[in-house]
Amino acid sequence: MATRAFQRLPTAPAGRILALRLVAIALSLCIIAGVLALSGHSPGMLAELILRSTLGSRFGLEDLMLFMCPLLLTGAAVTVCGTIGLWNIGAEGQFYAGAIAATGVALGLHGPVLIMLPLMTIAGILGGMAWITVPTLARAYAGVNEIITTLLLNFIASLLTYYLTTGPWRDRISGAQVSTQRLSVSIPEMWGIVHWGFPVAIVIVVGLALILSRTRWGYEIRIGGANPEAARYAGIPVRLRIISVMLLSGGLAGLAGMFEVAGTVHRLQGGMANNFGYLGIVVAVLARGSCLNVIPAALLMALILDSGIVMQTQQLSASVILAITGLILFMIAIGDELAHYRPVATKPAKGKAS
Amino acid sequence: MIMLLTGMLATAVLAGGVLALAALGEVLAERVGVTNLGVEGLMALGAVTAVMTVSTMHSPWVGLLVAIMVGAVGGMVFAFGAVVMRANQVLCGLATTFMGLGLSTALGHSYAGQPVETTFGHVSIPLLSSIPIIGPALFGQNILIIPIYVLLPLAAHFIMFRTRHGLNMRAVGENPAAADAAGIPVMAMRFWYVTLGGAMAGMAGGYLTLTYVPVWSEGMVAGRGWIALALVIFAGYRPVIVTLSALLFGLVTALSFVGQAHNWPIDPAFLNMLPYIGTMAFIIVPVVVWHRMRRVMAAPAALAQPYYRDVR
Repeated sequence: MATRAFQRLPTAPAGRILALRLVAIALSLCIIAGVLALSGHSPGMLAELILRSTLGSRFGLEDLMLFMCPLLLTGAAVTVCGTIGLWNIGAEGQFYAGAIAATGVALGLHGPVLIMLPLMTIAGILGGMAWITVPTLARAYAGVNEIITTLLLNFIASLLTYYLTTGPWRDRISGAQVSTQRLSVSIPEMWGIVHWGFPVAIVIVVGLALILSRTRWGYEIRIGGANPEAARYAGIPVRLRIISVMLLSGGLAGLAGMFEVAGTVHRLQGGMANNFGYLGIVVAVLARGSCLNVIPAALLMALILDSGIVMQTQQLSASVILAITGLILFMIAIGDELAHYRPVATKPAKGKAS
Repeated sequence: MIMLLTGMLATAVLAGGVLALAALGEVLAERVGVTNLGVEGLMALGAVTAVMTVSTMHSPWVGLLVAIMVGAVGGMVFAFGAVVMRANQVLCGLATTFMGLGLSTALGHSYAGQPVETTFGHVSIPLLSSIPIIGPALFGQNILIIPIYVLLPLAAHFIMFRTRHGLNMRAVGENPAAADAAGIPVMAMRFWYVTLGGAMAGMAGGYLTLTYVPVWSEGMVAGRGWIALALVIFAGYRPVIVTLSALLFGLVTALSFVGQAHNWPIDPAFLNMLPYIGTMAFIIVPVVVWHRMRRVMAAPAALAQPYYRDVR
């Protein structure tokens, strides 16, 4: 080989990653602006409109927080799973499972809010955990690829939600389509339409960051992800850690579903997961394995979702948001890889096998 | 009974074709060491562009060709990230799926729900199509059945296991460093086979809207891309077995149709879950029941690992 101008580092410096990510996002925005301009929209006007109605208005800010709440939890769900080197692509399904379980409690039991909310929370967490059980056991005991098993369960959960909201749990009072009746219990609101689930989600994310970085369990998880062989050699029960992490991940996504049902939507609806599970993957990627980073990452993702609402008012279909997210994810994946390269002074090549 | 079997097999063959195409394409990509999780998105793009094309061109062949080309371009975009830039394959694949699903919905907005008028019509091959049970299924449906189930998998099998090129190709997936040392162009091999896999995913989408479900609607691919990915694992990355398992899978789909047609006392929502539950069982049960399976059906050794010439 000729003299190499670049050298690949095993770990990329954080500053370089941040810089390249900003470039990646800027590049994505340029592409999006170009496409919008070509299809007859004015990108400048649209950008101004988006900024004014997201960050510049009280309603926009409230929406932003409502979007952030599930994203924080699904993002954390994918992040903790990623710590041990596994992909939980099924947060969407666990979200539904948690929502279904919480709705089941709300429809089936009656009691004071102080008892009902904790019960629904527990049901939501258990629902999410139950939904990831099969992929967890298959992964831990048979080495079955968790990406595909967790993902397939999303479709089953979505069909189950559809069945429940059109069948046994359908709304018999106001006749809303693909929806249950309005639940009698809801999470109290703290600021406008923002409910208390939002600060709780932030506390959970910060708590997880502490657990992962400060406890023995967290340490073992990180080692298990970095080098499973070494972890096993050091006597860490990797299989048990995989099980506990995946169940935790499912529980977090289930909790997101419960918050959404009890705090934001107030009923179980078909399609209510709104891609939060899949976008959780994007949040986790942006967060690069750190739970604290989940907070700014969820903020960015919520901003994108929030601007989706504005785009809908401008005759752009809501699905454009999914494409835009995909583009940003793609650019960031490339940017992260490029961040590993360091320019080196071109010296006369010493050895070809270096 | 014969009627029922004939009908079921016909549906199975028709439905399995979508999976057979996408899964065969993915076998090619994974054999050279690249997992393309973008299949679902590329299928959606193929499906919608086929519908858009036939609505103006009125030729199913042109529609299919456009779907193939769109799939190939999408495959190239993915390959640019995952092979050329060597970015994380899982992320690039998910991003491709997001882009494909989002773009296809945006593009197909004004076509949603309208029946596609130009499709691949019924073709009956004389004599062969009158064979009881299997005749109507294989030789009495559309012209694409034989290429999908016989020609393509056999060609892929022959190239992969009987030619020097196939040996090189598998070497790239098993040990890219050794392949590189032997003078095989690792990057080019990966790039073009991923592109080919993308083209086949696009074709699978086009086949879906031009034969099996001739209408575009959002979310109509409904996880078929992910099922195809699971079939590749189930079939141990072998072209002929993957095609047969796609057919087996078509049977599971046909079962849910038969159930709905005969008013089985099961809610359609649960019958619609069958393919997903079936896929779960497909990839979990064999490994649990038969441990040796794990070695026989092992993935290519360098699967999902980017190749750096200068990093050891």
